[in-house]
Amino acid sequence: MSTGKVNIFLVDDNDIDLSVNSKLLGLTDFVGEITTFTSARKFLEELERIEGLAKQPNVLLLDIMMPGMDGFACLDAYSQLPDSIRHHIMVFMLSSSIDRNDIRRAENSPHVIRVLEKPLDVYLLKRLIENNLMDQRQV
Amino acid sequence: MSEERPRVVYLDDEENNLMAFKAMFRREFEIFTTTSAADAVAYLNQHEVQLILSDQKMPDISGVEFFELTYPDFPDAVRILVTGYADMEAVIDAINKGHVYRYVTKPWNENDFRVTMLNGVEKWRNAKELRSKNEKLERAVDELEKFVYSASHDLRAPVVSIMGVTNLAKSENLGEKASEYFSMIEQSTGRLDSFLQNLIHYYQNLKSDEIKTEIDFNLLLDQLIEKYRPLENASSVNVTKDISTAGKFVTDEHRLSMVLGNLISNALRFRDSAKDQNNVEIHVVQTSDRAVIRIIDNGVGIDKDKLPHIFDMFYGTSELSKGTGVGLYIAKEATRRLNGKLSVTSDLESGTRFTIEIPNRA
Repeated sequence: MSTGKVNIFLVDDNDIDLSVNSKLLGLTDFVGEITTFTSARKFLEELERIEGLAKQPNVLLLDIMMPGMDGFACLDAYSQLPDSIRHHIMVFMLSSSIDRNDIRRAENSPHVIRVLEKPLDVYLLKRLIENNLMDQRQV
Repeated sequence: MSEERPRVVYLDDEENNLMAFKAMFRREFEIFTTTSAADAVAYLNQHEVQLILSDQKMPDISGVEFFELTYPDFPDAVRILVTGYADMEAVIDAINKGHVYRYVTKPWNENDFRVTMLNGVEKWRNAKELRSKNEKLERAVDELEKFVYSASHDLRAPVVSIMGVTNLAKSENLGEKASEYFSMIEQSTGRLDSFLQNLIHYYQNLKSDEIKTEIDFNLLLDQLIEKYRPLENASSVNVTKDISTAGKFVTDEHRLSMVLGNLISNALRFRDSAKDQNNVEIHVVQTSDRAVIRIIDNGVGIDKDKLPHIFDMFYGTSELSKGTGVGLYIAKEATRRLNGKLSVTSDLESGTRFTIEIPNRA
């Protein structure tokens, strides 16, 4: 990636998926720091404390099906955050479901770039991030 | 319930008719007679009535009018018109309005009248049974849909986790034996997953509304190729794309990817190991009004006798153990829902060529 690396926030209640995805992403050349969260609430709590968001692009990979606060509820809370935070984050949702209503619901959100099916395809993710960064620069 | 006598309401302005009727049929039917339409309605409100009988010619309301009035609230009751003379027009009117089962002319023949009423009760019973069966069926369909929904979430989630771990294990260097085993696991889980996906797609295709999106053929095809190549263990297959587009192309992306995914995975799966090079060519020619996509392989081909049946559900399962038997069926059905056409030519020497033609909804 010509623009340098992206930082990743992974939010998933499933430990196996969390560790597999974080390792898979770690093996690629476009990922910098990876931070994992086992619940949406923990992520939202931490997000406001994370420093240096503006230094490089950040990518949130948010699982849809989680107990307690699920991906959609997390997204609602996220959309209340100030622009100064959201501006630096690209949001992707992750789902092992191929339920169309879920996909439609997520992609209707202005914050979500895309719903990605599990298992995570890191090359597709890379490509989507690149496209998105290019679009942003054109704007 | 078979012990209970069927309930009959009879409305007539002539008391004599009502009395004669009651005397004749009281043993077989639970009878309520009245000269007042309001009383008849009051009775209907309090009882489950199988038959509503009404005289046609009455001073305040005609029989047909009474039937029409009570139809919305009591649609299940069977209606029989009792006419004093050959008032054919009223009878035709009543029958055309659809709510009258039979008519009986006065003076009536006791036996004919009885048979007519018994048939009416039978019709009422059948309709009721049908309705209860329909309700059961609807409930079953509902539950099936819930099952599919939970299958798509709960059943697929652990499968997907296994796929993730396997994927990771393969990318780390764990030795030749280990990668061989992981490849086997990968293929089996991949099969399992594509079967799950096919089942889910089958119901989604039946159920879902069309969602139109702009298609990026290049990206869509790449995703599908990247997805199916490892699943079919087909890294040696040379896949080429050739895409010519003109402006926007809009269709239901989900259904389109069901179609293309099935065809691409088949093209990869049924490669011919006797050939030096296995090829899959994908050609897209898109215009302002349609897209024609051809998927051409030099695989094992399909026998002439089998070709007409390949789109049938579960056809392939016994013949070719490699398939789940629903893929091409889904491809065909999804194409149909896109208002498109799916056709195939094939022979055992050169391979198989699928052509999909779908309208541009832009």
